[in-house]
Amino acid sequence: MRLNLNRTLFIVGVFAFSHCANNSDPVADKSNFTKIFDNSQFNASYYPVDMVQTPDGGYLILGGRSLTTSSFSGTYIMTADAFGNFVSAQEVDENLVDPIGNILTAKGKYYFFCMTAIGLQTQLIEMDATGTITNQFNVGSSYPAAAAQDGNNFLLLSYDNGNKLSVMSKVGPDGTIIQSKGYKIGAGDDVEAPIIASFVHTGRQFPFQAGKNSSGQYFFNGFYNYTFSLVFTDLSSNNPLGVVQGQQSSGGMSAVLPLEGSTYSIGTFNFGDNYLLPSSQINSNTVSSASDLNGNSFPELVTNAKVKIVPIILGAKNYILYGSTTKSKQISLYAYDKTSFKFSGSKYLGFSNPFEISSMTATTDGGLAVCGTTYVAGRFPRICIFKISSSKLQDSFH
Amino acid sequence: MKKILLILLLTAIASSTFSQGKRKSPKPSGGQKNSFLEKQFWLGFKGGINLSQADPIKRYSVMSATNYQSGNLNKTYNNFQDVGSQATVEITFQFRNLSISTQPTYSHNVISYYNQFEWTNTEDPSQSLTQKYSQSQGLDYVTIPLIAKYDLVGNNLKGYVHAGIYYSFLTNALKTVSVSGVDLASGSTNTLSSQPLIVGTKDLFTNYWGLMGGIGGSYQMGNVKLVLETSYMHGMSNITNVKNRFSNDQLAGIGDAQDDIKLNNIVISAGVLFPMRFLNSNFKSFDQN
Repeated sequence: MRLNLNRTLFIVGVFAFSHCANNSDPVADKSNFTKIFDNSQFNASYYPVDMVQTPDGGYLILGGRSLTTSSFSGTYIMTADAFGNFVSAQEVDENLVDPIGNILTAKGKYYFFCMTAIGLQTQLIEMDATGTITNQFNVGSSYPAAAAQDGNNFLLLSYDNGNKLSVMSKVGPDGTIIQSKGYKIGAGDDVEAPIIASFVHTGRQFPFQAGKNSSGQYFFNGFYNYTFSLVFTDLSSNNPLGVVQGQQSSGGMSAVLPLEGSTYSIGTFNFGDNYLLPSSQINSNTVSSASDLNGNSFPELVTNAKVKIVPIILGAKNYILYGSTTKSKQISLYAYDKTSFKFSGSKYLGFSNPFEISSMTATTDGGLAVCGTTYVAGRFPRICIFKISSSKLQDSFH
Repeated sequence: MKKILLILLLTAIASSTFSQGKRKSPKPSGGQKNSFLEKQFWLGFKGGINLSQADPIKRYSVMSATNYQSGNLNKTYNNFQDVGSQATVEITFQFRNLSISTQPTYSHNVISYYNQFEWTNTEDPSQSLTQKYSQSQGLDYVTIPLIAKYDLVGNNLKGYVHAGIYYSFLTNALKTVSVSGVDLASGSTNTLSSQPLIVGTKDLFTNYWGLMGGIGGSYQMGNVKLVLETSYMHGMSNITNVKNRFSNDQLAGIGDAQDDIKLNNIVISAGVLFPMRFLNSNFKSFDQN
């Protein structure tokens, strides 16, 4: 009996102390982390364009880098493992410049658009999950501005500087243009100047976007008829189906997420001010004005802030999640209930050094990965990732 | 340090008060004296200093190196260099040369480390920036040990060895970060420094357990014992809260993530022990002959 008691005490003791061991937890290490990808070159600068999670749980990041040989930014491809640790980086040939998001997928491969520094011809680059470039296709149009997934094909918004057109195209994974339509931006150099300044990063970075709504209509957020507008098209009509006009280059949509029917989650900018509208009714067959859409004002955001919108499920609840950059140089997340569209909470990422949002994506473990730019030592632009678990997000969003 | 002095002062006052008792105590017989020596409860107070060592189990960093060795990101710990302090209440049961003791302790431990980063212009190597992040982590624990003591040779002045096991409850944690550097890209040497950033870091740590051992000496001054001892406390479990490693935005923003570490300490304490059997109105710290 005494032996049994001793044995029991021994087992309890071992359990108690092993329970206190607090060993490293790989699940926790993958669920929550902050990573800054540093480079020791004083004169190097890197910024992310888009990020996707790869099947192994790691991250594939498309980025830009400063070039001394071109006004455009070079192309940078980086991968990290599921813990956010750096795996590989590739400084792509300097003739391939101005990479744009989104990173697209088809047949197990990843794709992005960029253009040649000489000739300004749009290229479709194919790569695998390790970031290795496996193919390159000449698409032909100039100045790629934004891309989106359309089934197994891709949507491409580009700018035709020869004809002064915003061109919306459907492109196959082999780089062939399946369908395309251009819309005039308006005559005169004054309209074109801010567009070119955006491409060479000397002026404002316009929130170009391409996509498809729930009705199957294509849309792009770009210049049309002297104004930065949200333009709906069927890619065959000479005139847009509908337009939500901005205020020349000073107002318009900063981000668009089509929901159901005529409901959209959008962000707008107007002479520097920023508004978030989780539920906005937009008639895609008429002409309207973005300034007529009332929204929640966010004076804490930087002037003409970059805004990203993703739907995310946390626990059993659906949210519309906005990401942006604050004047205090943090990345801010704002959640709205997808059913009631009521504000559910906010979360701020980054401190001490400046942080700016680039992209965010829901991860396979139910969490969120946010990719951005931070300025290490207050001066060197470097790519960073914030990985936040579902439970941490739920702590912030009610 | 002030805490230790205060405790020693209180101890001295208590000792003095007890020794100045007016009542005449019954003279203990020889048998009582033997009994006193052979079997006794002791209650006492100790205070002192400690030196800490962070023993990394697994290293972590917010920074991930893309063009240099990731080992450069490792923190350089200053082992047994930062002085902390502790205050202890000791309760000991002694039977002949062997004692069993618990010594609840409130301790303030300090571990410090630094990271250094350097950025150099590849086109003009004379242009560079070096930044050093110096971090001092204060950790407050209430530690409950269970210790066995064995008295070695001696009469009034005795040496002893002790060993035991302990569990430490985290009560507070505070980190101070100082950033300094040299900028050689601004036209001449520009020395950089910043105001220290002080951050509450209790969420980044957790309780832990460990094993301890040490040596000491006691001086029997009347019925009270003055003790001086040193112990080595060897942490056996990770003190880092692995779920909150990156949860502090202020620290993550400057590239700091907590390593998994074990905490080891060298503890030096001095104090006084009172015999519990004589802690009544007749107690004299010195026997009347």
